[in-house]
Amino acid sequence: MATREERSTDAAAESDPAADGDGADPVADAPDSSETETDRRGVGAAEPAPVGPTADVPAVAVSGLSKRFGSGPDAVTAVDDVSVEIEAGSVVGLLGPNGAGKTTLIKSILGMVLPDEGSVRLHGIDVREEPRAAYAHVDAMLEGARNDYWRLTVRENLRYFAAVGGVDPDSVAERHDRLLDRFGLESKVDTPVRNLSRGMKQKVSLASVLAGGADVVFLDEPTLGLDVESSRTLRAELRRIAEERGLTVVVSSHDMDVVEAVCDRVLILADGRIVADDSVEALLADNGRHSLLIASRDLSPAVVADLRRDFEVAGVDDGGGRTRIEVAADSDDVYALMRRLREHGVTLDGLDTIEPDLEDVFVDLTRDREGSR
Amino acid sequence: MSRQPETGSRGPETGSRGARPAGYYRLARAVLYREAVLFVRYPANAIGGVVIAVFFFGVLFYGGRMVAGRALTDSIEGIIVGYFLWTLSVGAYSAISNDIGSEVQWGTLERHVMTPFGFAPVALLKGVAKLVRTFLTSGIILGVMLAVTGTTLELNVITIVIVAGLSITSVLGLGFAAGGITLLYKRIGNWLNLLQFGFVVLVSAPSLDVGWLRVLPLAHGSGLLQRAMVDGTRIWEFSITDLGLLVAVAVGYLGAGYVVFQYATRRARRLGVLGDY
Repeated sequence: MATREERSTDAAAESDPAADGDGADPVADAPDSSETETDRRGVGAAEPAPVGPTADVPAVAVSGLSKRFGSGPDAVTAVDDVSVEIEAGSVVGLLGPNGAGKTTLIKSILGMVLPDEGSVRLHGIDVREEPRAAYAHVDAMLEGARNDYWRLTVRENLRYFAAVGGVDPDSVAERHDRLLDRFGLESKVDTPVRNLSRGMKQKVSLASVLAGGADVVFLDEPTLGLDVESSRTLRAELRRIAEERGLTVVVSSHDMDVVEAVCDRVLILADGRIVADDSVEALLADNGRHSLLIASRDLSPAVVADLRRDFEVAGVDDGGGRTRIEVAADSDDVYALMRRLREHGVTLDGLDTIEPDLEDVFVDLTRDREGSR
Repeated sequence: MSRQPETGSRGPETGSRGARPAGYYRLARAVLYREAVLFVRYPANAIGGVVIAVFFFGVLFYGGRMVAGRALTDSIEGIIVGYFLWTLSVGAYSAISNDIGSEVQWGTLERHVMTPFGFAPVALLKGVAKLVRTFLTSGIILGVMLAVTGTTLELNVITIVIVAGLSITSVLGLGFAAGGITLLYKRIGNWLNLLQFGFVVLVSAPSLDVGWLRVLPLAHGSGLLQRAMVDGTRIWEFSITDLGLLVAVAVGYLGAGYVVFQYATRRARRLGVLGDY
């Protein structure tokens, strides 16, 4: 793979008008079939360091990022000393309760919010020092369906944002066709976006983000407001496209299903800090707690009260002549729980296990911090 | 502009042979195409603007004639030229300032900011496109005014386009500044639109009598446009000083407006309100 330095040297000999503006140089070198198309986006600064999508340079490198709003006693720390690296080609979920700082973190990474401290590098390019070159690698869906021009047609939006993103729209026309096909928009290509449903607008928005040459994509609540079917389609296609194109994707969402289905890695944010950073599997293994759902006619209030003393009884439900309780229980607890039930002479009518999911982990991790406020 | 051949790479979802880079030429094509499409596809705004402008001129002309009689008729040429320049100014100003506000509202501003080109070239290109559009609509208004009043003016297109174009370039600067303020304070656009009525004062300012007024936007250009359209003065017949001042005022206000816009953008990013609406 040619480094950006090599390409920029070549580009200096070109007469691309892109070289004239904003301190940016065109990246219009001799073609290299091993490059990503993003490498060849029209505008990017020439910088000495070997940067660009390479295996040894993180796609996103955030170091000591902090952002406070306001001053004095009313100051709010939205992002608090966040450091994280995201390797190229990975899909990372960003979770956090409302006000945790997810959007501020994403916007700070993108330079839409200027951080008070810290640095951000996209493919090795400092966003603050060389924003134009860094932006040649990135696109984002920050406003959901409000990310496009609604009075333009679907295809016009894709072509427009490809060009604005530094890619000749004619050269990616086939990609656009394929994207439209995948998102079920092929019959709507000539329809103004304003005439589409909410779900379709959201799909157009995502398609337009993927329509250019960005190899790092930030998506803020991409499935917000979508029906189940649309959400399922969108996340399936997102995962597939990310794998096929080797995209680096950062997804901020409240939808745990999306994160669980799409992401290789999850960052959980609370009070502006990263409180968990691991794969979905590891988070579940380390933090997830199995529960037992027990149903019996013998679960009297006295028995339940006794259980509460030594076990975490999450829920009690009386009805239909029997009582159901949910008890958080790891494997070691199960034997003790069964012994205790037997001591009380409880005959089980039903016993189910409940597998932990990401939502439980998320609630546990962020609840602790909520309580400490 | 160099163009690279389509080259290898990319995923099966594209089926393409790779992406070519787009420079400023492609950017200009995309932005201007979008403006043209919207103009053709949604002509109601432009038509509405022409109708309203003609209506107000009709009120001004017929109402004024009832009140002032011959005095108004004697000065009708100056009024038509001034009104023409005012409609151009309003179009240019709102093209920039309202458009920036709309981009914020639509959620597309941040997408432009985080591109290899940035938002400023896009805003400038859109401004150019809307200037062309404004010249078209104001030309129609001018034609209607001449027909309604039975007035004849010297219509040397080159002189008019250059003088009027440079005059309203200074207004583009005001539009950039207003757009920057909109970025910071959001729903302030309606108040800033009131500035359009201030253009009436600038267009009618006695810049030939009071020298310092010539450094204000529109004022000097308005005087030159009067001379061009009423007296038939051609562009090459103006003094170097007059033309130099016209260019300096245009560049000065455009530059100052752009600086204000850039400052406001940076401050909005610091406050975290760039994309909020």
